Amino acid sequence: MGLIVLSPSGIQSLQVLTILLGAPLVSGVTSHLEGRFQGRRGPRILQPYYDIAKLFRKETLVTDESSWVFLTGPIVAFACYLTVPMLIPVLTTFPLPLGYTGDILGGGFILALAGFVVALAGTESGAPYAQLGGSRAMTFGALIEPTILFVIFAVALITRTDLPYALAATVRSSASQMVRPSHILAAAAFFLVVLVDTGRIPVETHSGTLEFGMIDEARTLEHSGPALALLKWGATMKQLILYTILINVFVAPWGLAATKNLGAVGLAMVALLAKAMLLGLLFAVIDNLFSKLRLFKITEFIASAFLLAVLGVLVFYAGGG
Amino acid sequence: MYHVPSTYQGVTAGMAVLVLLSEFAMLRAPLLRSQVRLYAFQSLVVSGLAAFVAASKHIDELYVLAGLSLMLKVILVPGLVLRLLRDADTDLAGSSVIGTASAILIAIGVSAFGFFAIGSLHVSSVSLPTSALAIACAVVLVAFVLIILRTDVVSQAIGFFSLENGVSVASLVVASGLPLIVDVAFLFDLLVAVVVFGVIMRVHHMRNETLSTTELDRLRG
Repeated sequence: MGLIVLSPSGIQSLQVLTILLGAPLVSGVTSHLEGRFQGRRGPRILQPYYDIAKLFRKETLVTDESSWVFLTGPIVAFACYLTVPMLIPVLTTFPLPLGYTGDILGGGFILALAGFVVALAGTESGAPYAQLGGSRAMTFGALIEPTILFVIFAVALITRTDLPYALAATVRSSASQMVRPSHILAAAAFFLVVLVDTGRIPVETHSGTLEFGMIDEARTLEHSGPALALLKWGATMKQLILYTILINVFVAPWGLAATKNLGAVGLAMVALLAKAMLLGLLFAVIDNLFSKLRLFKITEFIASAFLLAVLGVLVFYAGGG
Repeated sequence: MYHVPSTYQGVTAGMAVLVLLSEFAMLRAPLLRSQVRLYAFQSLVVSGLAAFVAASKHIDELYVLAGLSLMLKVILVPGLVLRLLRDADTDLAGSSVIGTASAILIAIGVSAFGFFAIGSLHVSSVSLPTSALAIACAVVLVAFVLIILRTDVVSQAIGFFSLENGVSVASLVVASGLPLIVDVAFLFDLLVAVVVFGVIMRVHHMRNETLSTTELDRLRG
């Protein structure tokens, strides 16, 4: 089994499949752990799969006011989430054929496009809460954008490229790369970006039903049936993609396959999901330690993330990072 | 400029960054008590940095400095200020005209100025990376921002004390073999400031029942 050698494009499709099929599992484990921390039994680990399967069997209801944008939004977003795993190191240390077709900026653009079409679809529905969610998501998305840019600057300064594979290789290369302040600051800033982008506490209660505090969740309130299934699935995939970038590019790019052997790639799949679940555990702990920020306090949170990213770049320029 | 820093340089610069980050956290902290605790934490990092430099570069005087600043700045001064705070029943720091997010953005701008100013000096040091000097300069500048924006005596005192922390980091960079007596003189300077600010807090609160600096002109004899 360990001697079967896979073709590069085979591994590439395995990357997409890992994200596609593993994402609901990671999300299920996280919400199960969260329930445990709160003294509940928590939903079953496989619950997200059941939810998605159930929604695919339901009918789609569309309001009179909405147009084709409402229906195509979820599909385009899902396609975007299927594209990003080709650009980032999900399973291998070596770049795959399509790995160089887009840098971090390119991946960021595709993720932003997905966020944009979902917000647009929500706004198209004409429902006030979905519109509110769409407008809020775009507002906070715009505010977090400078932070993401400075994280990319820091990465670009450290590796002199902006390819995710290059940074992962740089981090793996030596211990002094791990402790250099600009890397730690950029990683910490990106961690806060992941908190904001996946809609977790302290920015948003991701499992709540109170519309006033909603940002990302509110966008999808009007969708139903298969469209909603795609949106939910897409949300878990976005979460796993961001986790993967945080883990395999910034924090712990170990356990990736260095060869094309089936065994090594299979091991890398398990390692990625295990690392993502550990990160999910951390997020569940954060969920229980902090309370949700007031909506107008979120700018302060984003300002702190921005501070970390800017300091990362500044320390590099000062010559010590 | 584009060399990879050694692990030693990375760790020391990282600790200096931690000092700067706690300065920023003080700018964000709404409670006076948490501000004092942040100062204690910052001083702990500074004395840890001194001990780390002492251990790696074999400069024995720095151990004394680390011990002294641990006793004074981590235990004694914060304890004293917390005690004064317990007597004055004020919890919240005097908020400034500017919101927290804008204050942080201003401080980022100011510290960027500090970074570029030091960067153009081309100072090099044997004990610490140059970036630590730039960070120390940023700490001093952000402490100024804290003193300027906050309108209560405690924040201003803490801003002044943490400014001294920035100077300590700078002195570790520029002259880690600085005669011990000079460093100790620095610390006694701090003690004088503590006494002065302590008296102000005490008297101001006793006479006017407030810690706000906007009422400071009511202290006329």
